[in-house]
Formats: sequence, C-alpha cells, structure tokens
Amino acid sequence: MLREIGVASIDDLFVDIPEKIRLKRPLKLPQAMSELEVKRHMKAMLAKNKPFTQMLSFLGGGAWSHYIPSHVRALTQRSEFVTSYTPYQPEVSQGMLQTLFEYQSMVAELVELDVVNASMYDWASALGEAALMCARITHRKRFLIPKLISPGRRATLQTYAVGPGLEVAEIGYDRKTGQLDLSQIRAQLKKDTAGVYVENPSYLGFLETQVEEIANAVHKAGALFVVGVNPISLGLLKAPGDYGADIVVGEGQPLGNPVSFGGPCLGIFACRSEMKLVRQMPGRLIGMTTTLDGGKRGYCMALATREQYIRREQATSNICTNNSLCAVAAAFYLASLGPQGLRKVAERCAANASYAMKKLNAIHGLETPIFDAPHFNEFSLNCDDTHMSIEKLNSKLLKRGIQGGIPLRGEFPELGETGLLCTTELHSRECIDHLAKTLKEIVGGKR
Amino acid sequence: MPEGLYYTREHEWVKLEGNLARVGVTDYAQDKLGDVVYVELSEVGKQVKQLAESKAKEMELGAVESIKAVSTVHSPLSGAVKETNATLQERPELINTSPYNEGWICLIEPRALEAELKNLMDAKAYAEYLKGLE
Repeated sequence: MLREIGVASIDDLFVDIPEKIRLKRPLKLPQAMSELEVKRHMKAMLAKNKPFTQMLSFLGGGAWSHYIPSHVRALTQRSEFVTSYTPYQPEVSQGMLQTLFEYQSMVAELVELDVVNASMYDWASALGEAALMCARITHRKRFLIPKLISPGRRATLQTYAVGPGLEVAEIGYDRKTGQLDLSQIRAQLKKDTAGVYVENPSYLGFLETQVEEIANAVHKAGALFVVGVNPISLGLLKAPGDYGADIVVGEGQPLGNPVSFGGPCLGIFACRSEMKLVRQMPGRLIGMTTTLDGGKRGYCMALATREQYIRREQATSNICTNNSLCAVAAAFYLASLGPQGLRKVAERCAANASYAMKKLNAIHGLETPIFDAPHFNEFSLNCDDTHMSIEKLNSKLLKRGIQGGIPLRGEFPELGETGLLCTTELHSRECIDHLAKTLKEIVGGKR
Repeated sequence: MPEGLYYTREHEWVKLEGNLARVGVTDYAQDKLGDVVYVELSEVGKQVKQLAESKAKEMELGAVESIKAVSTVHSPLSGAVKETNATLQERPELINTSPYNEGWICLIEPRALEAELKNLMDAKAYAEYLKGLE
C-alpha cells in the first residue's frame, strides 16, 4: 500500500508532525482480539448493565416507556428509511417525503394546529426554538415559563436564549393545586412579553386547568401562547389548538420510539396556519403537490429558502438535519393505533396513575399527589413523614428490584422529599400492587 | 430603464417624491430572482442607513423571497421608514409584474438626501453597470 501511494515508509506519512510531540512507544492497548473474542468481551461488559426495561420501573419525567407494536419497528428498520438522508431531491425521495408528510398530518390532527414541521431534536430544543420564534414575530425579548418545569428543558431554553438576548422569567404556582399564578402572568405580560409557555400535563404530571384564561390574557397582551405536551395525553385531553395555542411543542418519543440511554427523542413543533407565524417557524416542512402535468400526486420540501443551507446567516431555521427516522416511527405508530387506539393507551396510562395514587396515598407516611389537581400518567410522591429521603427510599426499592421515581428536591427544594413517578399501559395492576406492598414494607420497617 | 430614478449596485431603485423617497427593486433584480413568493417588510418607523461597503442590520429594508432564493433589500438612503407596501403581503408577484410601480416596497423619509444621492447611479450609469455584469 505504501508503494501504491508513493511513500517509502509509514514514518513518511507523519513528517508534518513535529518530532518532539510524537509518541515513540506503542499505544497502551490490550492484545488484538478476534471478532469472536471482541463479541464475548463486549457481551460480558454489557451484562453488567441493568436495563430498566428488565425491572419494574416507575421512571418517566420526559421519556416514557410504551408498548411498540412489532410491525412499527419492522417498518422503521427498513433500510430505505434507516439510511436515507435529507430528501433534497424529491425525485428520488418520494417514500420518505410521503411518510414525513403523513407524520406532519397526523400530529396536526392530534394538536389541532394546521402546520407541523418534519421534526426537531427533542422537546427541549423545540421549546428553545419556539421562544426564539415568539421573539422574532413580536420583536419582544421576554419569555415566560412555569417554575415547575423539567430542569433539562429549562437549561436548554436558557442556552437558546443567550445569543439573541432573550430574558426567561418564571411564573409561580399555587402551593395547594400546582396551578399557575394568573395574577403573576398578568403582571408579567405588561412588561413587553413575547410569549408564555405552559405545559399540559405539567412536568409533575398534573393538568393545568386554566389554559383558556391564560390564552386570553396572553393574546390580549399581543404575545404568543406556547403549549408543551406529551402527545399520548392528547388521546384523552383537549388539543392545545382548541384552547388557543399559537405554537405547540412536545416530546414525540412515546410515539413508537423506545427509551434507551435517554433517547432517541423527537421534537414536535406545530403552529397556527398564519403566514406571519409559518414564515418564522423553524425546521423543514414537507408539502404535498401535483406534477406539472397535474396528473400525479407528489411530495417535496416547502419553504426551503428560509433554511440555513440557502439563507445562511439570515436563516430563520437553523435545523437542517432533523430526527426523520424517529418521525417515521411516530407516523407508523400513530397510523397503527388510530384515534381509538391512542385513546385506549391514554386511558390506560391515566387509569394506572389514578390507581397507583390511590394505593400509595393509603400508605402511612406517604402522600400522593402533592397537588390537588387532575393528573395524567405521572404524579408526585412525598415521603417527608417517613423521615427518610426520597433517595433512600429509592435505593431500598432498587434493592427489591424496583426503580422508583425521579427525586425532585435538588431542583425544587420547596417540595421536600418528593419523587416523580410514572405509569403507562405497560404497568399491570399487579405491578402497582407490588410497588404498594413493597413501599409499605419499607416504610413500615423503618418504624 | 425608467429615467429620473436613482439606482444602487444591489439593484434597488429610488424615486424622489417631494420630501419622501419611494424604494423598490429593479426589473433586473426581479428577473434574476424568478417568481417572488413572499416579501418581508420592515417595520414602519425603523431607522435605516444607506448601504455601505460593510453591510449591517440597519441597512436592511426587508427581504424578497423567490422559489429559489431570499435576497435582502438594502436601503439606498439613510432615514426613517414611513410606509410599506402592504399589498405585497397578499400579492408578492407584483414585484415581478410591476417592479417600478405597483411592486414598490417602501417609502423613506431621507435624512441626508443630497450627500447620499452622490452614491447612487442614474439610469444611464445603471444601464452601463448592468452591461458590465453580463
């Protein structure tokens, strides 16, 4: 090979690297292994993992484990989808374009807004982009978020806010019900606010019931109303487009995508069909059209001229690669379940959480939920009265093969020893009974 | 090439109307852009600066978007934006069909008209300039 490329020795390839910084000994690596040996070695290492899918888990908080029908995975894993890149050339990408168009269409039905982009990275990046979009449209620089929000989402939003100098302010909540403080929203709206963001269900699983009043106040002040959702909940709950949302963001992972080391996620992004909004919307849009002779249906990227690869520094969309494969999975998932199926999944999730709250709240020393409000599939569990920290409680659960809820005290000290638990349709009544029984033993054992 | 207008190297035109200046893009510009699908207008009241060598945000009057590109409209004069052509929001194609009349983009109240007109071309000079581009 050296002869082929015209050099005498391997050292000739490194002449540009100064002598003194060259490594003059072999790398400290183990002996070379055969493929079989590598496989055995890696398998032994992987066996040390304890995948939460193999234990009873109540983790949620932004990544939710749901049943994925086998054919959804089979279709998503087809090489035509797995290996396809951005469909710049419609003439060779009709399959991908059509699937993304259908993803957009189904999400539009779900959130009741007419324009949906072909996906963002995750909920958090979708929220960051929504804030910037509000600022571009209103020419204002303040964005309001609920105090009870996922720390990851808040951190991502703050990162997005740095460049354009956006100020992110928090809205407080009622200590009894968790509901947002309307008077704070009204007061803040007077100060040149670009947008107000509300999550429904909230990070702590309860529903925000004043969304219509909030929407009215926001619109009266000339600001935009942004709503964040877990799309599964929309099988059951009113769509944000029906209560005044201008922009909807959310986490599309529960739609046919597995939970695995924190991902892959899928950012949902939708807005009202008004040119003022659509022009400032990030991400790519797939449109349906007809061929020049008018005879055939076709799909193509629309409004591409605002994207970074064409408009450079003037772009309103700086996301040129999206999470297409995750959006493809979501399309297959939604198409498979249909409205009835999604409703059943949502009902089961909510019913399980409701059952779990009832069972756990009956245990002496435990309180759930900590807020008096309707909940979807997640709920807070407080153990102040057990005089045990939530981490301690979790580690005792883990010893018994149960993954407890996310501890919230670090982010929200005012909530005390509280964890965030999640149930989906994957949890059977027996699973929840087992959690209750185990918790009773742990809490009782302490006394 | 309409006589009596002033032209920039970036293919904007200026028409003086009393103490105001009407601004648009030239026929050459619309031809190069192709079908215009959207016009982004600046806010009324915005203070703009005449386009100089080093381009800056204050020199932008909006953007014209066609099916293949988006092009920034630069301000040929310094001053305040008094009015924008709202009709373009519904009928952006006026830029193609009537670049010098119905497709106007905005009205500016110039701040330093006399000094700045020297930086613009008349119809003859602009025609020469276009020849040089071909």
